[in-house]
Amino acid sequence: MSAGVGVDLENLWIRFGDFVAVRDANVNIKGGDFFSFLGPSGCGKTTILRAVSGFLEPSEGNVLIGGNNMKGIGPNKRPTALIFQNLALFPLMKVWENITFSMEIAGASARDRRKRADELLDMIALSGQGDKLPSELSGGQRQRVAIARALCAEPDVLLLDEPLSALDLKLRQHMRTELREIQKRVGITFIYITHDQGEALTMSDDIAVMRAGVIDQIGDGKAIYNDPATAFAASFVGENNVFRGKVSKLSGNEALISTNRSGDLLARISTANHGKLKVGDDAMMFIRPEALSLATSGSTGDNFVTAKVTHEEFEGNTFNIFTEGDGGKEIKVSIPNLGQSFDDHTGQPITLEYEASNAVVVPAGELANE
Amino acid sequence: MMTSDKIIRVSIWVYLAIFFAYLLGPLLIMSLTAFNSPGFPRATPWECLTFDWFSALFQDERILNGIKNSVLVGIGTIILSVSMGLAGALMLTQIWPKLRATYYTIIIAPILIPGVVIGISTLVFWDRVNRMLGLGADSFLSNGLFLTIIGQSTFIASYCMLVLVARLQRYDMTLTEAALDLGATHAQAFRKVLFPFMMPAIASASVLAFLASFENYNTTTFTFGEYPTLTIELAQKVRYGITPAISALAFMIVILTVFAALFNEANIKRKEMVAEARKDATVGELAGKIEVPGILSRNTPAMLLILLLVVTVSVIGSSFVYSPNQCIADVHEQKRIETELRIQQLRDQRAKDAAEKAAKEGAAPVQKQTAPKAGNNSGFGGVFAPSTLDNSDN
Amino acid sequence: MPGFLKEYYKRNGTMMGSVMLGLVLFWTVGLIILPQLSMLDFSFRPNLPPPEIGGPKDIYTLENYKYLIFGPEGGGQDYNAVDLAVFYRTLVAAIFVTLFNLLLCYPIAYYLGQNKGNHIRIFALMLIIPYWINEILRAFALRIIFGETGVLNTLLVGTGIFDTPFDFIRNDIALYAGLGYAYILLMIFPIYNVIESLDHNQIEAARDLGAPWWRIHWRVVIPYAKPGISSGCTMVFMLSAGALAAPQILGGPSSLWFTQLIYQQFNDNSDWPQGAAYAIVLLVTCILLVLAVMRLFKVNMGDIGK
Repeated sequence: MSAGVGVDLENLWIRFGDFVAVRDANVNIKGGDFFSFLGPSGCGKTTILRAVSGFLEPSEGNVLIGGNNMKGIGPNKRPTALIFQNLALFPLMKVWENITFSMEIAGASARDRRKRADELLDMIALSGQGDKLPSELSGGQRQRVAIARALCAEPDVLLLDEPLSALDLKLRQHMRTELREIQKRVGITFIYITHDQGEALTMSDDIAVMRAGVIDQIGDGKAIYNDPATAFAASFVGENNVFRGKVSKLSGNEALISTNRSGDLLARISTANHGKLKVGDDAMMFIRPEALSLATSGSTGDNFVTAKVTHEEFEGNTFNIFTEGDGGKEIKVSIPNLGQSFDDHTGQPITLEYEASNAVVVPAGELANE
Repeated sequence: MMTSDKIIRVSIWVYLAIFFAYLLGPLLIMSLTAFNSPGFPRATPWECLTFDWFSALFQDERILNGIKNSVLVGIGTIILSVSMGLAGALMLTQIWPKLRATYYTIIIAPILIPGVVIGISTLVFWDRVNRMLGLGADSFLSNGLFLTIIGQSTFIASYCMLVLVARLQRYDMTLTEAALDLGATHAQAFRKVLFPFMMPAIASASVLAFLASFENYNTTTFTFGEYPTLTIELAQKVRYGITPAISALAFMIVILTVFAALFNEANIKRKEMVAEARKDATVGELAGKIEVPGILSRNTPAMLLILLLVVTVSVIGSSFVYSPNQCIADVHEQKRIETELRIQQLRDQRAKDAAEKAAKEGAAPVQKQTAPKAGNNSGFGGVFAPSTLDNSDN
Repeated sequence: MPGFLKEYYKRNGTMMGSVMLGLVLFWTVGLIILPQLSMLDFSFRPNLPPPEIGGPKDIYTLENYKYLIFGPEGGGQDYNAVDLAVFYRTLVAAIFVTLFNLLLCYPIAYYLGQNKGNHIRIFALMLIIPYWINEILRAFALRIIFGETGVLNTLLVGTGIFDTPFDFIRNDIALYAGLGYAYILLMIFPIYNVIESLDHNQIEAARDLGAPWWRIHWRVVIPYAKPGISSGCTMVFMLSAGALAAPQILGGPSSLWFTQLIYQQFNDNSDWPQGAAYAIVLLVTCILLVLAVMRLFKVNMGDIGK
């Protein structure tokens, strides 16, 4: 297989009347990558996908596939195949006819189509089910048929619009692995749309985090999770405790934040914001629940937070402690369950400790789900 | 409590019985008249079983010509109104929301406009177009077939639109997008995805269009020109004298309808059973051809259909052998005897009266016949006074 | 090209889009709007022989409408009593037929809508079959029954209820029965469609709360079925007011239907403008009546045809 065909979005704007669905998107997707657009519903990620597949003409800017400008080229002429959110399997065609629809359009003989269908059915582990109707398959099977149908068209780029959202949790987790494996096997570029950060993190080479038509950050899973560029990215991907405040001191890439309610706290400035924060700027500091731990009582300093435990939860792999910091600030702490004994702290004051390198500072901004 | 429930149940069934008697009774009686020998369609008194009205029907040039025109108009109307209805329904799903209500009102209005008005407006408009184009009275635009198809399609397309839009609402527009995405052109996506999906609705819309066209009178009566349809011919006949040949035609239409209905039901039932069988089938069974054993044994409509077919074939078969002549002759003879008897009685009466009168004064008696209004049983050459028929009933 | 048209062609493709747009425009403009406007225009013109059309005599006039109200000029009457009486009678009779049909069909529609099972399918078939049969033949069937020597008279005289045959046709009974018969299906189906979607639990709940059956219908079923009822009534009214075949076949010789007057103007008198004017009067009156009733019962136009 080739190295795959890359997709570039250049200064892409998409407007519906006065509403701006996508604002100045610039993305460079490498050939053969599994690339995800991650964002809440209505953030414009599906709009981008429709612009790539050709159902929408961008208001400004260009979509390039393999370096070729796609302006004015209809969806049926682009080297892309789209897997729809509801899969859009043709209900009146048998499974094998569904899979080889693109060959039928191209005028292939029934024998060739049958043969190709059997190959693809083997690949998706549905051998011998070609004569069924889509309605006679289970959700996961339908999913795989949709993938096979898209792959049969031999696209350079496969576009997936939240294809797993209709499945139940177990199946969803199973399909993640399967999708990733298929992508590695066929080696073509996958562009994946999701609002589920778990899906994005587990499958993608690179992720673009989107908010209200704007791309906040592009990076691999680790970068997005550990080194968020914006407050939105920090709060949308994974759980995070947020502390608002002002920058009171800068030293290298570390900043001391005088928080509104929890005193002065030290944290690392995220890479994207190096050199951008000045003393006195409004800032937000994020600490993951799993980065906090219980400190021995009496400890103080700029990496300690005092709080009172309101309630506790046992989640299996972690103990979750919900605490109330000074001034009613809510803080969640997750402690991995390694079989240790765990006392009930409800109602007690405790001190929490963290490593400054595990806390991130970004300029103040909009949070997810506020 | 129990008794009031019972009363309600009984009254429901009585009501249903009366209702369906009103609905089906006329058709039943009309069908019966097709087999009775009197020249005026009547079920009572029953005289002789005859199939002659059917042969009379098949010898009627105007009826046959009317059927031919009806079929031509029907085909034209199906094509025009189903395609307009489909386009109208598709447009309805994507028209600018502010225009939608107005648009819907316009395309639904022909259903409510009286057929007479549609006929007139079609005639007036195309006559004017014809004149504006400077064409003669024999041009294509003033052709009866063209005008009738156009006039009927105006409102039949609305019916089709309603049928089609109901199905279209269940269509997932992303299917078309999926087809486009897989390389199909818009026309291919329509032909291979949307059209097969719409097929059941298109079929019912076509049947509806044909039936509506076939039975239309109000609009066609203004537009038919040189091409009278069956309905027009029937109306002429019914208005100016009726014969049981029309009953025969009606009977055949009834039978065809029942056939079609049973066929449709059997087909639905069969599909249901196949779907059920598929659901239960294993992969191995699906790979081979599906055979549902004893498909008829559980399919009541199919059984009825076959039964009806057998009865029809045997009746048609026996109709070639059966001759009502003997019976008609018998009735003839009986009536002759009765008439003679009556005449004899009258003569006796007259003679008696005369004798009485003569005995009294000698003036001739005035004969008064109690003949009622004119009967139309011209089939017997009007030889017999209708009163004799009434007598034979007693 | 304006934006929405561009968007339209992008969605439907150039060829498919053009075919679709062409068909819709032909239907709405060429078959619905222009013919009606053309008829309206025609109704304001004098009846001229073809050579004079477009000539100096071809002017707009109210003559045809005046004729309906005042009769022929110098006709000696103050009003066109005959035609006006026919018009009035047609409307009243159509309303009567509509109400009769509603009363007759509501229980059936309710029964069919709220019961499930094979016998419902059979009933539905039995309902539809008569309507696959020609309108003329349906009227003909009724004429056989109501005729002077028809089944009904034979039965009535035979059983001694009447001494002499009753003239159902001259007394318009046959006509009303025929009109009622002709549009049963159009009344049943809209009501049935709505009632079928009514959750049976609502009725159960009302019954459970102690409501008698008539109150259940008055407060629960009828308000729910209102769109269906109005849709059915509108169709039956418009169609019976505009009926032509049934009055021609079943009507008595003296009692005309308004559509028959229109027919006469067109076919017997060859006075097209006059006929067009009558048609306009019928159409406008019927629409106004329907709209007024719809406003009275607070129903939308969008409900028609559902």
